[in-house]
Amino acid sequence: MQSNLVDFIQVLRSHDIRVSPAETLDAVGVTTTLGYADRNLLRDGLAMTLAKTPAEEAIFLQCFDRFFQQDLADFSSEETPEKQDESIDTGQENNATEQSENTSTNQTMALELAAANDPSLKALLQTPLMENLLNNNRHELTLAINAAAQSVDLQKIQMFTQKGQFTRRILDAMGEEQIRDAVIELERAESPTLAVLQRYRDILRQQVRDYVEREYLLHAEGKTQQFMDDILSRTRLNNIEHMYLHKVHELIRKMAKKLASRHSQKRRRLKRGQLNMAKTLRKGIPNDGVMFKTFWRQTKKEKPQILAICDVSGSVAAYSKFLLMFLYSLQDILPKVRSFAFSSHLGEVSTYFDDYPVEKAIELVNWKYGGATDYGSSLIDFSSIALDDINSNTTVIILGDARNNNGDPKLDVLQSIYQRAKQVIWLNPESRRTWGSGDSEMLRYQSACHFSAECNNLKQLERIVDQLLKSTR
Amino acid sequence: MHTQHFPQLESVELIEQGFESFGYICSRKIATAVFLAFQLRKPILIEGPPGVGKTELAKTTALLLDTPLIRLQCYEGLDEAKALYEWKYGKQLLYTQVLKEKLGDLLQGATGLAESVAKLHQFGDIFYSEEFLEPRPLLKAMQQTNGAILLIDEVDKSDYEFESLLLEILSDYQISIPEIGTIKARTTPMVFLTSNNTRDISDALKRRCLHLYIPFPTVELEERIIRSRVPNVNEQLRHQLVEFVHSLRELDLKKAPAISETIDWARSLVLLYANELEEDLVRSTLNVLLKYEEDIETTDNELRSLLNTR
Repeated sequence: MQSNLVDFIQVLRSHDIRVSPAETLDAVGVTTTLGYADRNLLRDGLAMTLAKTPAEEAIFLQCFDRFFQQDLADFSSEETPEKQDESIDTGQENNATEQSENTSTNQTMALELAAANDPSLKALLQTPLMENLLNNNRHELTLAINAAAQSVDLQKIQMFTQKGQFTRRILDAMGEEQIRDAVIELERAESPTLAVLQRYRDILRQQVRDYVEREYLLHAEGKTQQFMDDILSRTRLNNIEHMYLHKVHELIRKMAKKLASRHSQKRRRLKRGQLNMAKTLRKGIPNDGVMFKTFWRQTKKEKPQILAICDVSGSVAAYSKFLLMFLYSLQDILPKVRSFAFSSHLGEVSTYFDDYPVEKAIELVNWKYGGATDYGSSLIDFSSIALDDINSNTTVIILGDARNNNGDPKLDVLQSIYQRAKQVIWLNPESRRTWGSGDSEMLRYQSACHFSAECNNLKQLERIVDQLLKSTR
Repeated sequence: MHTQHFPQLESVELIEQGFESFGYICSRKIATAVFLAFQLRKPILIEGPPGVGKTELAKTTALLLDTPLIRLQCYEGLDEAKALYEWKYGKQLLYTQVLKEKLGDLLQGATGLAESVAKLHQFGDIFYSEEFLEPRPLLKAMQQTNGAILLIDEVDKSDYEFESLLLEILSDYQISIPEIGTIKARTTPMVFLTSNNTRDISDALKRRCLHLYIPFPTVELEERIIRSRVPNVNEQLRHQLVEFVHSLRELDLKKAPAISETIDWARSLVLLYANELEEDLVRSTLNVLLKYEEDIETTDNELRSLLNTR
């Protein structure tokens, strides 16, 4: 059972619940204290040691039910679905209903009659597999499927495309071949018992399919998810198809959370302020009143602020959206963020983010400021709105492709920002090789930035935001 | 370090019954948590909305076991001098003054500085011994001989640094004092930590605890709670008021009414000799349940539909 518990913890890990070895030990402690008799008690107990947030607890409960509910459906009573549910609930007893027992005995009789004239069929009926099927011996059958699954390494299942393959292999390992051959035989002979045998074969296949499905959900769903996330985070943001957008939101939230926990240590760089007389006296007492060490009231360092300027014209809009989403997902730990959007002219859009949820706000911004780009006049707009607020605590992030449609770049405006701000970061979704080609003013703008980077997928975005967080504290 | 034996905590059912005898009606899950915490010697981290009985659980456990409850209320800026221990500076100072004269007697016969210092060394660090230690809640809990309940309340209000301070106590039940060494708990106390989730507790702390989330109770459970806490409410009113509170919790409120508010409300209704919920009565007593003006206004508008659904 202990190895079972370890398997279960593996499953939890694949579903994004972090379980440390120490917690595994605790879980073992819980199982030995509580025993296995009361399922609900065990579930509550394990939930307390393994799941650490309400969200994790929900995942845990789901996994627990899937993992420890390994009994097969009662197939002899398929005609009475309610009864079937009931018998699943009550557990592993073979409480087939009387009625279905009758039908199944009738069918068994028919098969046995046919077998009397056919030695190969008779041999088949005596195999343990067929006996279990005929007698509706679900417990034995579950064990058989488990054993077969183990022999074909079902736990290594990774992708949903492997489901069929594994089902086939398990069936082979259980000796389903014999039934298949017998069915073909009966077909050739046009025997009346064909339907009966076919039914048993289908039941078996269904059971194994269900079993594989369940195992897939347990072992591979998490892995597939991770695989998808990995691919998405490396895809160029404007190539991500619409149907995956909600996934990207989720992914950004996840990344933001990771960054948040990495950087959530409180801002502790403090400035020395007034003398703290009380503390200095108190700490001096052990030294007979001599104040060796002085203590100072500390004043918190002025909060840094971030100004994000985003190009929302058609070519770059997708990237701006994700940058904004990232910045606002990090609001708890990031210093104050103000955002500006521009294409032909520029305006502050921070209020949208205060009033609406992030996704909605981004839509509004795109709708209001979309159009042809003019970096020159947008920079002038920006400096008239915010130049006075820029000081040595300010980080300015500009996201855009720097394609100015051959207008005046107004480099001097960016230079004045550069001189005032703590840092100016330019993120360009275009690849570095194309910077400066055609109407791109990137090389010129780059001269007035502390840092410029290519930024077109989530991985790069995450790295940049990570750096940003480091530099702002 | 030895562990106290409590027959009251033998099984989950016994705990449930024991709690009930002290008027604390709990779900099976809560009883399981207490059982496991005692059996495995692990602290419980209790989370949940305010007013669902997180602190009450620790208090009731103390009553049930008849052990002292030592409570540490966390707040921003709480440090080890207030949570762990402090030296009794006044006493140290006084003693040095008093003992100054004795010093001459002690050093009699010593010739030369080296010899005097050697003689002084024989006395050890008497001023930094346990007699001069002022125990604060955490240390006090370690010193109890017959077991204790240590309640670290609202741990999410404290600073990150304080959490790290707790780690040693929670996993090994010991405290390290630089001048003395390590002080181990005489008997392991049962530790309850509560959190209102104003910020995330660090993984290191969570890992050392059993995690218990107490949600708002079900209608059935809450009725039992009211029956035990306010016995003189008649059955019909009890059912009505619990149903009403439950429907309130589904509204979009700034602060949903918790169990403690339901109990207060039931008491006020008893004082007003109410037999059933009437609109006017509810309206005039709504401020017992809801603590924000906006919430009262929101509810006021929907009061009729809320009351008519039953």
